[in-house]
Amino acid sequence: MLPPFLLHLMNTGLGPFYDGLAHLFVTPEDLLPVLALSLYSGLRGPRFGRAALFALPAAWLLGTIAGRLFHPHPAWPILSAVLTILLGALVAADRPLPLPAVASLAAALGLWNGAWNGIELARARAGLFGNAVGIACAAFAVVAIFAALAASVRAQGARIAVRVAGSWIAAAALFMLGWSLRRG
Amino acid sequence: MCLTALAARALAHEARPAYLEVKETAPGRYDVLWRTPVLSGMRLPVLLQMPASAKNVKEPTVQQLTDSLLERRSVDAGPNGLAGQRIEFPGLQLTITDVLVRVELRDGRKWTTIVRPSQPWIEIAAPPGRLAVVGTYVVHGIRHIAFGADHLLFVLGLLLIVKDRWTLVKTITAFTVAHSITLAIATFGWAEAPILPLNAAIALSIFFLGPEIVRSWRGETSFTIEHPWVVAFAFGLIHGFGFASALTSAGLPKADLPLALLGFNVGVEIGQVAFVLFVLLLERSFRILEVRWPRWAAALPGYAVGTLGAFWFIQRTAILFGWIPA
Amino acid sequence: MDPGMKAPRRAWPASLPLFLWSAAALAHTRGGEGAGFVAGLAHPISGLDHVLAMIAVGLWGAQLGPPAVWLLPVTFPMVMAFGGTLGLVGVKIPGIEVGIALSAIGLGAAVLFEARPKLGIAAVLVGFFAIFHGHAHGTELPAGANGLLYSIGFVIATGLLHATGIGIGLVHRWPAGRTALRCAGAAVALAGMAFLWKALT
Repeated sequence: MLPPFLLHLMNTGLGPFYDGLAHLFVTPEDLLPVLALSLYSGLRGPRFGRAALFALPAAWLLGTIAGRLFHPHPAWPILSAVLTILLGALVAADRPLPLPAVASLAAALGLWNGAWNGIELARARAGLFGNAVGIACAAFAVVAIFAALAASVRAQGARIAVRVAGSWIAAAALFMLGWSLRRG
Repeated sequence: MCLTALAARALAHEARPAYLEVKETAPGRYDVLWRTPVLSGMRLPVLLQMPASAKNVKEPTVQQLTDSLLERRSVDAGPNGLAGQRIEFPGLQLTITDVLVRVELRDGRKWTTIVRPSQPWIEIAAPPGRLAVVGTYVVHGIRHIAFGADHLLFVLGLLLIVKDRWTLVKTITAFTVAHSITLAIATFGWAEAPILPLNAAIALSIFFLGPEIVRSWRGETSFTIEHPWVVAFAFGLIHGFGFASALTSAGLPKADLPLALLGFNVGVEIGQVAFVLFVLLLERSFRILEVRWPRWAAALPGYAVGTLGAFWFIQRTAILFGWIPA
Repeated sequence: MDPGMKAPRRAWPASLPLFLWSAAALAHTRGGEGAGFVAGLAHPISGLDHVLAMIAVGLWGAQLGPPAVWLLPVTFPMVMAFGGTLGLVGVKIPGIEVGIALSAIGLGAAVLFEARPKLGIAAVLVGFFAIFHGHAHGTELPAGANGLLYSIGFVIATGLLHATGIGIGLVHRWPAGRTALRCAGAAVALAGMAFLWKALT
C-alpha cells in the first residue's frame, strides 16, 4: 500500500537535475517538513541552523540513493506525516531542544523522505544521480533561506508570525495523517 | 575535470524548439511550414500529424538547411477548416524539446503558442488574444535565461566582482540596457551576428571574468573591478545578440514582432532579476547563519565561472574553426 | 559581496504564510488534484457558522490582549486539525451541528460581555470548539482532490479569518470601538441561536 504522496515526480522537460529541483517545490508533503525544520532550527539560532543546513540535504541525498538502489518494502507511511506534525508543533511551541536532537531530526527527515523519493524514482525508472542531487540542492537552498529568515527574527510580532506558520504546518500535517489513516 | 566537462556539455546544449506555422490561404486551405532542428546530424524525432480531414493538395516538399529540416505542405481541410481539430506531434513526448506554433487564419485571428512534451498536440480553437502572445514569449524568455547556463554564469561572475549595492544596481542595469539594445536591433533585422563567433564571444565574456574575480579576492584592483558596469555594458551587447538568436530560431511572427520581442525581453529580465535576488538571498542567509566556508568552497563559484568560461571558449572556438563538429 | 549589503529585515517574516500560499498555488499547476487547494481555501468561507465563530475568536483575542491574542491563532489550527483527524479516523462526535451553534453563541457571548477568564480556561474553551469545527468541516474533501493541499487551504483560510477578527478587534483601543465590538459579539451570539434552532429542528 503506497501512501498518497508518492505521486510527484516532475517532468520539467529539462533533464533529471531540474526535475529534482522542481520536485520539492511542487510536493507539499516534502516541502512542509523541510520548512518546519528550517524555521525551528533558525529560531534556535545560527548554530542550529547550520546543523540543519548540512545534515538535511546530505541525509536526503543518502536516503534517495538508498531508496533508489535497494527500494525497500515501504513501511509506516505515516511516519512522514508524524515527523511533519512534530516539527510544526516544535516551531509553534518555540521550546529549546539540544543540538544533537535537532541534527538527528534533520537526518531522520532527510533519510526517510529521501528514501520515499528514491523508491518513487525506482518505480518510474527515472535517473538517479541528477534527480537526487537536484532534490538535495533544492532542500539546501530552502533550509538556508528559511533558517536564516527565522534566525533573523528580532521583533516579538515577527517571531509569532513564524510560530503561527509552524502551527499551520502542524495542522495541515495532522489532517494529512487523518487522510492517510482513512485511506489505509 | 571530466565531470565538469560533461556537465558543461549538458548545460551548454541549447534545446532549440521545433517550429510549426499554419496559415489559412483560402477558406479551408492551409499552407503548413514545419521546421525541425537538426542536432549533430540527428534529426529531432518528432513527426507532424495533421487531422485526418486535412488532405495534401500537392506533394510535401522537404528542404535541408544547415541546422534544420524545412517541410512545406499545402492542405485542404474541407469547408469547416481545421477549427476544433487537433494537430498532433507524435514522438514529442519522448524529447525535451518544445514546438512553437504560429497559426494565422483568414478571419484575421492569429496566435502563437508553445506545445510541450507533456501535451504533444494543439487544438485549433478559440484563439488567445495579444496578451497571450506576450505571455507565451514572457515564459519563453524566462525559460531561456533560467536554463541558459552561460548567461547566468556571466551574471554570477559580475555578482562576485561587484562590491556594494549601488554598483550592483548600475552593473545589472548596464547589462540589461545593453542586451535589450542588441536584442531589439537583431530581432528587427537591422544587424545580425553570425552564430558561431557569437557563441565563442559569449564564452569569452565569461572566461574574461575569471581572472578578474581572482584579482578581486586578492584585494587587487583593475578597470573591471573599478567600473564593472562598463564591462557589463560592453559584453551585454554581445549577450543581446545571443538572446536574439534564441528568439529568432524559435521562429518569430512578423506581425506580432514588437509584442513578442517585448514579452521575451520582459521574461529575460524577470529571470535575471530573480536569479540575482536568489544569489543575494542565499549569500545573506549564509551570513545570518554564520556559515564559514572552507577556502576551497568559498572559491568554488569563482573557479566555476573561470573554468566553464574557458572550457566553452575553447570548445566553441574549435567549433568555429571546424576542428570539432558542432 | 560585503556585509554592507543588507536586505530589509523586518518585513519579510510576515510574508511566510504568503509563501506557504504560493507554494500551494504552485502545486496547483499540477492540474486536477491541485483543485483541492482552492476547495480547501473556499470551504471555511462558504459556511457562515464557521466564519462567524472564527472571527469571534479573533475579536475575543483582541479584547483579551497579549498573550491571548497570539496564543489563540497558534493553538487553534492544531486543535482544529486534531478534531478533523478524529473525524477522519472515524471517531464519532455526537451533536456536531449543535456544538458549532453553541460555539458561536459562547464565543459571541464572551465578546459581548468582554469575559476575562484565566488564559488556560479561555484556551480550553476555544480548543473545545475548535474540535467541533475541524470535525465538521475539515473532512469534506472533494473527490479526486489532494488531501494535503485541501488541508493547507483550509488551515490558511481559517488563519486568515482569525487575522480578520484580530484586525477588526484593534478598534478595541477606542471607547466607541469597544461598544461596536460588543455589538458584534451580540450579533454572533444571535446568529448562533439561529444556527442552534436550525440544528435542533
